[in-house]
Amino acid sequence: MPGFTHLHTVSGFSLRYGASHPERLAERASERGMDALALTDRDTLAGSVRFAKACAKAGVRPLFGAELAVAAPAAPGGDESVRRERRRTPVRGGAFIDESAPRVTFLARDGARGWADLCRLVSAAHTHDGLPLLTWDANHADGLTVLLGPDSDVGRALAAGRPDRAVRLLAPWREVYGDALRLEATWHGREGTGPGSLRLAARTLGFAAEQHVRPVLSNAVRYADPGLGPVADVLDAARRLVPVDPAGGLDPGEAWLKGQGAMLEAAERIVAAAGFRREAALRLLEQTQATAAECRVDPEDDLGMGSVHFPEPHLVGAGRRTAQRTLASRAAAGMVMRGYAGRRAYWERMHHELDIIAHHGFASYFLTVSQVVDDVRDMGIRVAARGSGAGSLVNHLLGIAHADPVAHGLLMERFLSKERVVLPDIDIDVESARRLEVYRAIIDRFGTERVATVAMPETYRVRHAVRDVGAALSMDPAEIDRIAKSFPHIRARDARAALEELPELRQLAGEKEKYGRLWELVEALDALPRGIAMHPCGVLLSDASLLTRTPVVPTSGEGFPMAQFDKDDVEDLGLLKLDVLGVRMQSAMAHAVTEVERATGERIDLDAVPEGDPATYGLIRSTETLGCFQIESPGQRDLVGRLQPATFHDLVVDISLFRPGPVAADMVRPFIEARHGRAPVRYPHPDLEEPLKGTYGVVVFHEQVIDIVATLTGCGRGEADRVRRGLSDPESQGRIKVWFAQHAAARGYDAETIRRTWEIVEAFGSYGFCKAHAVAFAVPTYQSAWLKAHHPAAFYAGLLTHDPGMYPKRLLLADARRRGVPVLPLDVNKSGVAHRIELVSESKGSKGPEGPGEPGKPEGVKVPGTWGLRLALSDVHGISETEAARIAEGQPYVSLLDFWERARPSRPLAGRLAQVGALDAFGANRRDLQLHLTELHRGSRGTRGDQLPLSGGRRTAPAGLPDLTPSEKLSAELGVLSMDVSRHLMDDHGAFLQELGVVSARRLREARHGDTVLVAGAKAATQTPPIRSGKRVIFSTLDDGTGLVDLAFFDDSHDACAHTVFHSWLLLVRGVVQRRGPRSLSVVGSAAWNLADLLEVRREEGLEGVAARLAGPAGPRSAGDDGDGPARRRLAGSDGRPAPAGSAARDPMEDRTIRMPTGYEMHPWADLRPAGEGPAVGRKLWHRSPGSAG
Amino acid sequence: MTILCVRFQLPSTDEAALPGLLGLLEEFTPVVQALPPHGALADLRGAERYFGRTALELAAVIRVRALALHGVDCVIGAGPNPMVARMALRDARPGLTRAVAGGEVRDFLAGRPVAALPGVGTRTARTLGEYGLDTLGRVAAAPLSTLQRLVGARAGRELHEKANGVDRGRVVPDAVSRSPATERPFTRDELDPGRHRRALLSAAEELGARLRALDKVCRSLTLTVRYADRSATTRTRTLPEPTAHSAALAGAAYALYEALGLQRARVRAIGLRAEGLDPAERASHQLTFDPLDEKARRIEEVADRARARFGPRAVMPGALAA
Repeated sequence: MPGFTHLHTVSGFSLRYGASHPERLAERASERGMDALALTDRDTLAGSVRFAKACAKAGVRPLFGAELAVAAPAAPGGDESVRRERRRTPVRGGAFIDESAPRVTFLARDGARGWADLCRLVSAAHTHDGLPLLTWDANHADGLTVLLGPDSDVGRALAAGRPDRAVRLLAPWREVYGDALRLEATWHGREGTGPGSLRLAARTLGFAAEQHVRPVLSNAVRYADPGLGPVADVLDAARRLVPVDPAGGLDPGEAWLKGQGAMLEAAERIVAAAGFRREAALRLLEQTQATAAECRVDPEDDLGMGSVHFPEPHLVGAGRRTAQRTLASRAAAGMVMRGYAGRRAYWERMHHELDIIAHHGFASYFLTVSQVVDDVRDMGIRVAARGSGAGSLVNHLLGIAHADPVAHGLLMERFLSKERVVLPDIDIDVESARRLEVYRAIIDRFGTERVATVAMPETYRVRHAVRDVGAALSMDPAEIDRIAKSFPHIRARDARAALEELPELRQLAGEKEKYGRLWELVEALDALPRGIAMHPCGVLLSDASLLTRTPVVPTSGEGFPMAQFDKDDVEDLGLLKLDVLGVRMQSAMAHAVTEVERATGERIDLDAVPEGDPATYGLIRSTETLGCFQIESPGQRDLVGRLQPATFHDLVVDISLFRPGPVAADMVRPFIEARHGRAPVRYPHPDLEEPLKGTYGVVVFHEQVIDIVATLTGCGRGEADRVRRGLSDPESQGRIKVWFAQHAAARGYDAETIRRTWEIVEAFGSYGFCKAHAVAFAVPTYQSAWLKAHHPAAFYAGLLTHDPGMYPKRLLLADARRRGVPVLPLDVNKSGVAHRIELVSESKGSKGPEGPGEPGKPEGVKVPGTWGLRLALSDVHGISETEAARIAEGQPYVSLLDFWERARPSRPLAGRLAQVGALDAFGANRRDLQLHLTELHRGSRGTRGDQLPLSGGRRTAPAGLPDLTPSEKLSAELGVLSMDVSRHLMDDHGAFLQELGVVSARRLREARHGDTVLVAGAKAATQTPPIRSGKRVIFSTLDDGTGLVDLAFFDDSHDACAHTVFHSWLLLVRGVVQRRGPRSLSVVGSAAWNLADLLEVRREEGLEGVAARLAGPAGPRSAGDDGDGPARRRLAGSDGRPAPAGSAARDPMEDRTIRMPTGYEMHPWADLRPAGEGPAVGRKLWHRSPGSAG
Repeated sequence: MTILCVRFQLPSTDEAALPGLLGLLEEFTPVVQALPPHGALADLRGAERYFGRTALELAAVIRVRALALHGVDCVIGAGPNPMVARMALRDARPGLTRAVAGGEVRDFLAGRPVAALPGVGTRTARTLGEYGLDTLGRVAAAPLSTLQRLVGARAGRELHEKANGVDRGRVVPDAVSRSPATERPFTRDELDPGRHRRALLSAAEELGARLRALDKVCRSLTLTVRYADRSATTRTRTLPEPTAHSAALAGAAYALYEALGLQRARVRAIGLRAEGLDPAERASHQLTFDPLDEKARRIEEVADRARARFGPRAVMPGALAA
């Protein structure tokens, strides 16, 4: 019996079509005894690289292909016009997704040529408007085999019982592909003559024999295992945007990766139905095998995996010289320009680095990056290198990296060494607002045939899965929305476990049975791609052969060319990726600088601000670092308070320490003890003093590990870096330990030293931080803190305009108020499109500080006076860019009528402007203004004629409507601007808070460690970051107008608090003060109430009512846990203190922890959403994100 | 305090019981206005004197009789005019009749949201709310001219009067404005046009039968399509001639449905309502030379008789029989 190869298999990369991952398919093929497997995803090759790797692992030969929709050849007769029937535009629900185009499977046959053809066809199909469609003109290739299956035009003609038509349709195919044409028979046990029916399969076979085209057998695989039919139905429904219709042909559940026996059986049934003898079944399988055997594409040789392609040297300024020569001369020029010419160490380092670069032949890479950076800088965009690339002197000399690596002790080897064969990786940060400009510049420079952005598959997580499955199952949209939103951002596969375990989902868990198959299907969708987006920072740069090695599709919004591969695939394919990250802080700082220049004429060069500015470090030490790059999170403010940075190096250390690794390894405490002289500085050996001196004997940086290993074993730093990388893998760790001990002993170190050093190295693992990264980060950190200290108004204007950081805008506004920056309300005559600064009052003295109440102002401030922050039009809800620009352009306006006629705001927008007082200057109260606007609106539509409803020229006449009450004004501000502008929203509740005895954030600073306190405020941020202990901790920050209160809720309080904390905005919390330093303070919460509820109770029922509410259990449900579902009371600490993180109770969660590629383990309920996801200008009132990124 | 507003606690949308209950009210006063599906207004001005009891006492009698005779409980509100009576009804419970005396009308209204006022829809309420006129007290306090600028001259004046407790409406006896309606819900999101048309056909058949039973014809037909997200589309079309002929109604319903051009809309229910009822004898009918039309009408007549004898499912269109 011949074997069988599945020639037509789709994976999850066929968006909302395939139900299994390519890895799973490869595994199953191997388990079911198949030697080869084809991957023919719909309209994409995105799964190819993973598939190739999985196949290599499973010992299966991969075949590559794609399934494409193909347009019919243009008919000479032109019967098109007859069939075009125009459908009416639906009043609701939208039109059907048109999937009527016939689909054909293409398999790459002739090595690299086949692969290139495949790439070209896929790219060509995506140039079609709407769904991908390959035009007939582009439908030709020499290296491909074509399978005409039931969904092809030929197959459809056969299904319709029109063999004559099939003959006619076959002719053009035969003309183009000749011998490479196959007819594909598929049997899924369906009735009738449609796709998957036995009769169609038999007809296909008969037709093939008649037409002398070779037939093949396939199973049109959509999922790896039997029983996944319902998942395929859900995917179909999600793709077509319709509910699953049980009456409309469900998936028969046969399209799985069947074994050889089952396929032989199918072949026999088909052959029998076609009226051939039994031997024909074997011939059919042989034909299939022969077709598979012809398809020879080697992942290494033909896809180009493992080789490197840089842009041609002449494009990066090499002229006729070699790239290496050019690089050397450019670097030498840099030496002279930067004034290092007289220093021997720099020359040696440069030559050493050039050696390494030459060794790998990466010179054009450096020239390419340098070219890009130069272009960006020429456009006037702030640009900074980040990442390990900052460790290279050559990068510094070429102007890619700012910081001098020699002065900061950064190592080239961390970036690139002779020992390590990987693509080097330089990331550049640019202003986020101008990132796309940068992309365009790169594309213009190198041409679309060499540049493409990188794809990023968006995969199903629990919320999207619930939404899609719910819609497919015809559930009530409101209900779906409620369920989806009640889940945190976790994996879909954990849906049911989360229901069991998460306290905030307990209510939902109670009604879980009601939803039937929902949960099962939700879990089945786990991690399947549901869409492809442009990766926010990767750009591929290659030589002119890019398009033959990767399929490129246009992105939906901007029409950039985008490779279908994601960032990992791209690396495997040896394509050079340059990460261009849009950093909002860079935009914010750029805005602040322009504002200062616009308002005062003073030019600030941020890259040349004086180092060691005392006011800046004073600000940082005060922990009032809201808005400062990298040091604004609650955890960082705590760390900064304990560490008290005084120099740039301290900032570098601070940023490196605030990583999950160092925090978990408790490197923070010894460091701080030693820094403040409370503990002696110890070195394992005097030889190690040099690398460890800067950090008081604590290992903080990767660079230090490299130095330690290199010093003790005498191996080079390149080798030491390889060793360091091996540390994260438990298997290689053992080998390294032996190797380390041997070499160190050989160098004469005693056993005790070796043991202690190894302990340090081992504990350090790979959790440290690359110093080059930290240095690159610390530069904008210092710059932003400097701006905050010296130009606070402009700084806030920049922040609010570009919304960087983790906090909602209203919190920044509260911070501005606290720091004495006047907040000026929106005014159509004064506000600009972006936030601006405005001179509020000339100062009394000649050298008064810019912000009052700011001690220690330097003398450098040239413009005296108080600068205020004028809010921007762009923050008004629903304003469009053009509207904002038009309003700003027409300033000033003399009357409401003038404003209406020249600025031409939309009616709702004008209403919102009136609500927040932007039109107050025109007289009358805000409601009267609204009425006038409505009438102007009616008038402009011609229903009221020319009558002017305004009295006496410029002022607006009152209409006798009640004005907004102060609380209505506040809620209008929150509603329209998402900010409480006129005053802090907690100010209204002062009396009640006093009754309760709530401690304000300011007074909390005097509280003692261990005090039990009540705190209250508006929630500013909630995080459930990955914590290494495997526990889930909810961190929250409250803002009460006097400052911020950082809260932590540990596992034992979750049952009582989690729901309230996640689902209320105003919170009242009881907790215990934790004090770890003069400036470091947090409250460990033990009970939480929704303050908004309590306020209402107070208003309606008085204090008695409040008492009754507090007497009941905290949280919304009074029923408590009546034993339904396992309440997680694993640690019975009830006094609100963190439970001792020990090995006492083995956590049942451990089995499900998520292991990151870095070896870092995450709690499954940790927030999976990447930092900064979601719209930048979202109307958020508080923050929920995973925090610690990086 | 002489107008009663009664709401009978009928199970589901059983409109059939209403006429009997109206009869009950008519024993007290001839001035009874039906408020379908299960309410009524009654003007007791004469009755108070005739029976020598106050409206409140009469209300108690009405409730007892409704319970005794029909086994139906009712809720009653009383006020000096229909509007106040209707609003009082909202505060009433079975056994507790809410009565608002003439003098306390303004206080009664002042704290209420504008949307509580009959005739103020969500749209007007939203408009008024935007201008801070969210309670009737505030509306009453606002200048008339401002109100008229807000909602238009006539509506503004009415609003002003109503907010001050003045209602110029009367209880109009026998103002049966009932327009029969029927709805066909689907158990799941239904996209299939075939099944939509089936629902339309069945609804049109039912409406036709009900109209013919009442000896009425309707002038226009309203189609309501409800979607999964609880929104709905409503379209009305005037029929070429007033009719109760099922085939004509179905044809009009199809035309209304086709005009929506629905494709992916998740339809949860399709409803039809016949509006503008007239007595059948006053309807005109365009005769044609086509015998088919005549035959269809005669068959319908026979089918109606068959249904009357053997039940509603005795005769039905083939498309619905499956």
